[in-house]
Amino acid sequence: MRTFIIAMAAALFCAAAGAQETIKIGVITDKVGPAKPYSEPTLEGILFGAEEINRAGGVLGRKLELLIEDDQGRPDISATMARKLVDAGAVFILSITLTPATQQQQNVTLEAKTPQMTPMNSGDTLTTQLANPYFWQTGPLGSIQIATLLSHARAKQLKRVALITDNSDLGQLLGKFFRAGLEKSGIEVVAEEVVARGATTAEPQMQKIRAAKPEAMFMAGVLTPENVLILRAYRQMGLKFPIHSSYNLSVPQYMSVAKGLLNGITFVDAYDPDKPEVKKFEADYRKATGKLPYNIHGYGYDGIKMVAEAIRKAGSTDKEKIRAAMQSLSYSGVMGAKGMKYVFPEGKRAGFDPNGMVVRVYEGDKQGRVVHVGQK
Amino acid sequence: MSDLLELSLSAAASGCIYALVALAYLLMIRPTGIINFAVGEWAMVGAFGGFLLLSKLEWPYPLGMAALLGFMLLVGWATERIAVRPLVERGAPLLAPILALLGMLVVFRESISLGFGPDPHQVPEAVGFEHLKYFTIGATLAVFAAVWLFFETTLWGKSFEAVSLNRRAAALMGIDLSRVTAVSFAGGAAAAGLAGLLVAPNTSAHYLMGVPLAIQGFTALVIGGVGRVEGALLGGMLVAFAEQLTVRYAPLPSGYAQGVPLLLLMLFLLVRPTGLLRPRA
Repeated sequence: MRTFIIAMAAALFCAAAGAQETIKIGVITDKVGPAKPYSEPTLEGILFGAEEINRAGGVLGRKLELLIEDDQGRPDISATMARKLVDAGAVFILSITLTPATQQQQNVTLEAKTPQMTPMNSGDTLTTQLANPYFWQTGPLGSIQIATLLSHARAKQLKRVALITDNSDLGQLLGKFFRAGLEKSGIEVVAEEVVARGATTAEPQMQKIRAAKPEAMFMAGVLTPENVLILRAYRQMGLKFPIHSSYNLSVPQYMSVAKGLLNGITFVDAYDPDKPEVKKFEADYRKATGKLPYNIHGYGYDGIKMVAEAIRKAGSTDKEKIRAAMQSLSYSGVMGAKGMKYVFPEGKRAGFDPNGMVVRVYEGDKQGRVVHVGQK
Repeated sequence: MSDLLELSLSAAASGCIYALVALAYLLMIRPTGIINFAVGEWAMVGAFGGFLLLSKLEWPYPLGMAALLGFMLLVGWATERIAVRPLVERGAPLLAPILALLGMLVVFRESISLGFGPDPHQVPEAVGFEHLKYFTIGATLAVFAAVWLFFETTLWGKSFEAVSLNRRAAALMGIDLSRVTAVSFAGGAAAAGLAGLLVAPNTSAHYLMGVPLAIQGFTALVIGGVGRVEGALLGGMLVAFAEQLTVRYAPLPSGYAQGVPLLLLMLFLLVRPTGLLRPRA
């Protein structure tokens, strides 16, 4: 009996010693709230990336350990989760929840001097509202999306366009950036409409847009069901002006829920299926999980890879050294156009290359070829 | 003018969805006094049932619809047995089952979210899309006619009426209160499930669709009046027309126009809390 107890104690000691060897990375996700459709595949990408890193020996000879917390997409809970992760010893926090929740976490990470990154949020204000040198954003900003779409549409010499979005936080934010981008380009927004979450039709909004006779319509909404309502009304009314959409139409669910409504619509994307890194990622992910990943998985995968790279470059888990390493990182990942690198020039903490997005077109119900790259 | 006609048809179809959700509330409130905010989640369950039976298993629409309504009757009955009856039998105050049902709302939503994932799913329509609105209006009118006939012409309907007038007296007259409560929940779930099935071809089935429907249905109920079946239909129509005509014609940004039904709700609660149609004396 005594031998057994000694053996158990030894095993527990070894396990504890082993546990101390891990590098703790906090992840704040939304498992039940409105960000869940994005947070879930992003988290899957993070898990796959962490598994891949650990299989290859980890970072600095230590395995990565993910501490995952659910903030339900609520900013009030999100800051508490960040505090919990800091107290649990996380040396880096990845936020894959709603933009306002990520914003709220920054109060904690700034105060606790803990590096934090969001690999998927696209609100432009995350790195500008608070001077937090411990925070980075690698998702493509809303302003980059509209600039890329406009650069594609500029060839068509648009003068009058309509803008439609939804009433989610991010939909409103993207709508604001879209409007600013359009006005900056001298394009008149002749109708600006909002479809509320939970609406049963978008016909009144589309009637108003039809009456304004735009040359094209820009969609900035991020709620899939409401975007489907818009597309359905567009087809039912027999409207012909072209539609240019935010990255939301790049998620593959549209191919099943909006069958017959998609042909010819252009959308901005941060994922080029012809990119060699994407092909390798898709093959590896499929081999490991049996499922084909899509663009949202790539955000999480790139996020955890960059965190690992920053720690490797820092040569230690000292948060200040990781901060400095992260700020000077140059990383080529799955997301972005061919050859794109995430970089953080001095004073900038949004790392997605402004020329790193692509515009793709729906061919029938399939997400088709890249028709435009960057803002040039 | 053609815009107005086009919009009227769209508003009538949306109004039917709200009316069915309002009817679900009404069927339960009248005999029990319980406001069940989980009706929106029942509609969501109906939408996902449609996805499973009609999209996944590819059952013929009439068969799938009938099976779904049968399933929803069971869901309503089970909800009453699990979340309401134990509390009522222990003499808990009316607030207790209302709170328990709010808990069920989370149970339904999270069960669906875990089972089907967070992404929306496509649900096929009974008829071609160009005729979907007519089908929604027709099916809703048929349900309302059936419920109206049930209350007006059958002994069972009269027993519901008696319970809603005075539970104690009804019990003394030999009416089985537990059975009336169970049937009211079963009927409520079927009405809400039908709303979900009818709206899903437009909106797709997704796990967050319940709460907005519950709010619109409740607004319709307050406006139309709790006392009469026709009130739910009238309320649903008024909410949908107010919503869509405001978005289309009011000189307001459409973001603000969404608040109009809620303004109506507050107005009615303040000025005419019994709704437009008062209960018969």
